Amino acid sequence: MGYSSKSPWLIHYDGSSCNGCDIEVLDSMMPLYDIERFGIINTGNPKHADIFLVTGSINHQNVKVVREIYDQMTEPKVVVACGICACTGGVFRDCYNVLGGVDKAIPVDMYVPGCAVRPENIIDAVLKAVDILDEKAKKLAAGETIEKREVGASLHEAVDGELPVRQPEHTKPGAKREA
Amino acid sequence: MGLIAFLVAAPLIVAALLMLFRSNAQRKVITVAGALVTGVASVAFAASYLASGQVFFELSQDTSYLISIVMTAIDILLCAVILWFAVRYKNRLALVLGLVQTVGVILFANMALGAGAEHMLVEPLYTDQLSVIMTLIIGLVGSAICVYALGYMKDFQHHEPAGAPDRRHFFSALMFLFLSAMYVIIFSDNLEWMFTGWEITTTCSFLMIGYTRTEEAMKSAFRQIILNMIGGIAFLFALILIHVAGLELSLSAIIADAGTDAVALLVLPVLLLSVAGLTKAAQMPFHTWLLGAMVAPTPTSALLHSSTMVKAGVFLLVKLAPLYMAIPVASTMVVTIGGVTFVLCSFMAISQSNAKRVLAYSTIANLGLISACAGVGTPEALWAAIFLIIFHTVSKSILFLCVGTVEHRIGSRNIEDMDGLFDRLPHLSRFMMLGIMGMFVAPFGMLISKWATLVSFAETGNVVFLILLAFGSAATFFFWAKWLGKLAGVIQKSTNVEKGVHRSEWFAIGFIAVLLLGCCLGLPLISIDVVTPYLSGQFGSSPELIGIDNLILMVVIVAFIAIVLLTPFGRDTKKRRVSVYLSGATVNSETRTYQGSMGFLRNATKRNWYLDGIFGEKRLKPLGQILCTAVLLMCFAASLIFDPEVLAGGSFFVERIVLLVGPDLVGILIGVVVFAVLAPIAGCLLDGLDRKVSARMQGRVGPKLLQPYYDVRKLLAKEQVTVNGVDEAYVSCAIIFVMLAGGLFISGSNLLMTIFLVTLATLFVIISAFSGRSPYADTGADRECLQVMSYEPMLMIMTVGFFTVTQSFDTAVLFQLDRPIIGMLLPIFFGLLFILTIKLRKSPFDLSYSHHAHQEIVKGITTEMNGRTLAKVEVMHWCESILFLMWVGMFFVWNNPVSIVVALVVMAVVWFLEVLTDNNFARVKWQTCLGSAWLVALVAGVVNLFYVIVIPFM
Repeated sequence: MGYSSKSPWLIHYDGSSCNGCDIEVLDSMMPLYDIERFGIINTGNPKHADIFLVTGSINHQNVKVVREIYDQMTEPKVVVACGICACTGGVFRDCYNVLGGVDKAIPVDMYVPGCAVRPENIIDAVLKAVDILDEKAKKLAAGETIEKREVGASLHEAVDGELPVRQPEHTKPGAKREA
Repeated sequence: MGLIAFLVAAPLIVAALLMLFRSNAQRKVITVAGALVTGVASVAFAASYLASGQVFFELSQDTSYLISIVMTAIDILLCAVILWFAVRYKNRLALVLGLVQTVGVILFANMALGAGAEHMLVEPLYTDQLSVIMTLIIGLVGSAICVYALGYMKDFQHHEPAGAPDRRHFFSALMFLFLSAMYVIIFSDNLEWMFTGWEITTTCSFLMIGYTRTEEAMKSAFRQIILNMIGGIAFLFALILIHVAGLELSLSAIIADAGTDAVALLVLPVLLLSVAGLTKAAQMPFHTWLLGAMVAPTPTSALLHSSTMVKAGVFLLVKLAPLYMAIPVASTMVVTIGGVTFVLCSFMAISQSNAKRVLAYSTIANLGLISACAGVGTPEALWAAIFLIIFHTVSKSILFLCVGTVEHRIGSRNIEDMDGLFDRLPHLSRFMMLGIMGMFVAPFGMLISKWATLVSFAETGNVVFLILLAFGSAATFFFWAKWLGKLAGVIQKSTNVEKGVHRSEWFAIGFIAVLLLGCCLGLPLISIDVVTPYLSGQFGSSPELIGIDNLILMVVIVAFIAIVLLTPFGRDTKKRRVSVYLSGATVNSETRTYQGSMGFLRNATKRNWYLDGIFGEKRLKPLGQILCTAVLLMCFAASLIFDPEVLAGGSFFVERIVLLVGPDLVGILIGVVVFAVLAPIAGCLLDGLDRKVSARMQGRVGPKLLQPYYDVRKLLAKEQVTVNGVDEAYVSCAIIFVMLAGGLFISGSNLLMTIFLVTLATLFVIISAFSGRSPYADTGADRECLQVMSYEPMLMIMTVGFFTVTQSFDTAVLFQLDRPIIGMLLPIFFGLLFILTIKLRKSPFDLSYSHHAHQEIVKGITTEMNGRTLAKVEVMHWCESILFLMWVGMFFVWNNPVSIVVALVVMAVVWFLEVLTDNNFARVKWQTCLGSAWLVALVAGVVNLFYVIVIPFM
C-alpha cells in the first residue's frame, strides 16, 4: 500500500445544491465519524489536496471554477462526486442554468449517490477512492502519464464555445415587462 | 606622510580640474581618473600603515603655522558662503548662526594664531588602524560613488525641466572636495584643522542638497546647515574652552588625559564635542536634516549617508570613547540619545513607503547604535561600533545606489512600485536584496556587529539599552523583511527594463557589492588584524566576543546565501509551472485578475504593511525629540551644577567577561549531524502525538501516530510543480539553517547564533512565500513578519538573561553550573512560554499558518507550496518544535545527569500545555499578538534583568 492512501488530503467544493450534502461532509469530520482517523485532512487548498470532493450540481457559473480547482491539483488526484446532484444534477438537472453532474466538467472517479449523502457513504467512497489514488501514484512513480477520463463531448462545446444560456424571454435585455 | 598629503591634495586637484574642464567627455575622464587615483592611493596607504599601528607625523612648527592660517582663512571663507546664501535666501536663523560662527572663528583664530608658531603641535598628523579603515571607506566607497554619479547625473539632467542649467561639473567637484575634507578630518590630530574639515563637509553638503535650487531643496539645505552649524559652533566652543583651560589642542592629548586629573577640565568640552558628533551623525533631536537631504540627487545621499558626512560624526565619537569611560555624564548623554534614536527611528522606518526615507531612517537608527556603542566606551563596544561603521557603509551605499538607479528605470522610489522587480530588473534587484540582507540578516556583518553590541551592553549591565536594542532589532527585521518580500516577487512575463543602466552605475554597484561580500567573508581577518590591534593599542586589552569557530561558520553561511541569491543555483526549471490560487476564479494569472461578484473583474493586489497607527512619524517624532532634547539639556545642566571632580569620577559597572566554552568546528559539525538525524524523527513523533492528543481532547480517535510521516512521504511522491521555480530553493535554505541552528544548540555552542539562524530560516520561508505573489501567501508572509517582530525581543532578552547568569552565551556552560538557571530567570522563563505559542504557530497566535481548518487565508504562508517544497516545510517545523522545546528544557539543566530527566519532564509538561492552549483558544487579532508579546517581553525583561544585574552590587 502506498503513502497516498494513508494521507488523502481533500478539498471540498459545493456547486448548485441545497447544502444538505455539505452538512453531511462536515458531519463526517465531527467526533462521531472522525475522518481524520484515516489521515484525511480538509485542506481547503487545491495545491495541497489529493481528493476533490464535490457536492451539488454544475452550472454555467461554477463550471470554470471546478475545472480550475481540478487543474490546480497535482497528480495523483481523484474526484469524488458526493450526492445525487453531483452525480447527475439531481433535482436541479432541469434548471435553466444547470449543466448536470460533476462529470460534465471534470473526470469523476467515484460516484456516491444519496440525497443527502450519508457520512458513512462519504467515508466509504473516500476509502475506495484512495485505492485509485494509489494506482495513480504507482503509475506516476513508474513515469507513466495518467490518462484522463473523457468528459462529455457536448459539454466541451458548451463550455469552450459560447455558453448556451437558457434565459427566460422576459429577463432578456430590452424585453418588456408584462403589466 | 607624503601619502597623507597626496590623499588630501589629489581630490582637491580633481575638483579644481572639474571646475575648469566642463564638457561631458572631459568630466568623465577626470572623474574616472580621479576616483582611480584616490582609490589606489588609499589602498597603498592602507597597505603601508596597516601593520604599523598608531603613527604620528612630525611637521615643522612654521609649516604648521602656515597651514593653520590657511585653515582659518578657509573657515572664514565658509562663513562668508553661508552668510551670502543666508542673505540671498532671506534665512534669518542661518544668518544669526553664521554670524555667531564668524565671530567665534575670528575669536579663536585670534587666540590660537596669536600665540605664535612656537605653540603649534610638533606632530599634528597621525594615523592608526581606525584611520586606515576610514581611509579605505572614503577612498573606495566614496570614489565608487563619484563614478556612479557620472551615469546617474546624466539621467538626472535628462529628467530636469528643459532649460535647467547644467551644473554637473560643480556637483562632481563638490563630491571630490568632500572626500578631501574627510581625509583632513581623519588624519588631523590638530583639532583646529579637524574643525576646518568638519565645516567644509557641512558647507559642501549644504551646496549638494540645494543642488537643484528648487524651493524644497533650499529648505532642506537650510535645515541641514542650521542643525549642523549648531554642532559646528559646539565644536568651536569646545576648542575655545580647551585652549582657555591651557590644554593642547590635540585629539590624542585630550584622549590621553582620560586617566589623569586634567579630565575634570574636559567635562564641558567633551559634552560639546559629543553634541558636534551627534549632530553630524544625525541623532535625535537633530535628525531631521538627514531626512531632508533625501531631496538631493542620489549620489549625495549615498555619499552623505554611507561613507562620509555621518561617518565623520561617529568617527569623532568613537575617538572620544576613552573619555566616556572617565566622564559618565557624557557617556549617559551619548548612550541615551543613541539608544532612543535607534529604537524610535527603527519604529518609524516601518511606517515609510518611500524607499529613500526608509533608508534614511535606517541610517539614523544604525548611527544611533554606533553612537551608543561609542558612548559605552569599553573595548567590546568599540569593536561593535567599528564593525557597524564598516558594514553600514558598504550595505547602505549599495542600497542607495540601487534605489537611485531603480528610480530612473521605473520612475518611482516608492517601495510599492517595486513589485516584481526580481524580473524587471533582475541584476539590480539581486544586488538590492544582497544589500538588504547585509543590513539585517544573521551571518552578514551588520548583525554580527549588533550581536557584539548586545554583548557589550550585557557586559556592562546596561539594562535599559538591552531592552531598547531588543525591540529596535525586532522592528528592523520587520521593515527590511517586507521590503525584501516586495522585491522577491516573481512575475513570469515581465519586460526587462534594465538596459538603460549606465556602465558607470554597474561598475559602482558591482564594486561595492564585491566589497560587501569581501568584508563579510574577511570578517575574522579584519577583526584579528585590524580592529583588535587598534583596541589593544587604545585600551591595552582586546575583546573576544564571538568564538572564532562561530565566525568561520558565519562566513560559510554568507558565502552560501550569496550563491543562492546571485547564481541560478537551486532554481528548478524542469518543474511544471502553474498559476497561483485565486479561489478558482482566475481571469488572468499574471495580473492576478479574478472574476469578482456581480460580474466585475478585480485585481488581487497587496500593499505593504505600514502600521501607521502604531509606528507613525506623527506619534513618535515628538516623543523622540522631547526625550533627547531633555537628556541633552539635563546633561549640560548637570555639568554646570555639579563639581567637575564628581562628574569625571569614571563610570561604574561590574564588567562581565564572556566565557567561550563552546565546542570547536568539529564538535559543531557532529552536533549538526546528530540533530539532522534525530530531530526529524523526534519531531515527527511529537507532531503525530500532538494530533492524537488534540483529537482526544476533542473527543475523537484521531489519526495514527505516524500520520505526519505518511503525509510527508505522500508529498514527496506527488507531481512536482511550482509557481515560479525559486520557492523550493529558498525553503531548502531554510531547512538547512534550522538544522545548523539545532546542531549549534545541542553541541553546546552559541545560543545567540542559534536564535539568529532560526530567524534566518524563517526569513527564507517568508521570502519563498512572497516570491509567489499569491494574495494568500503574501498575507501569510506579512503576518509571519509580524510574528517574528512580536517574539524577537523576548528571545533577545532570554539570551541576555542566560548570559548574565552564566557568564557565557555557549549552552555548554549549563553543565558546569551548580544549580539550574531557572532560579534566576523565572520571569524570563514565563515570557518564553508565552512567545513559544507564537513560535510553534499554535492558537491563539496561529496568524500566518495553521493546521486548523479555520484559516481565512487558505494555508497562509504555505498556500503556493506543494509536493516536495511543502514536505520540506513540514520537516522544518518538526525540527523547529524540537529546538524550541529544548530552549525550554535548557532552563532546568545543571551539572547533574538527573537534570536531563527533569528537563525532559518539563518539556513534556510545557508541550502538553501548548496543545491544551491550542485547542482551547480562538485566534486573536494581530494587534493583540504584537501588543501582548511585547508587553510580556518588556515586563519579564525589565523585572528579570534588573534583578539579575543588580545582584553583584548587593
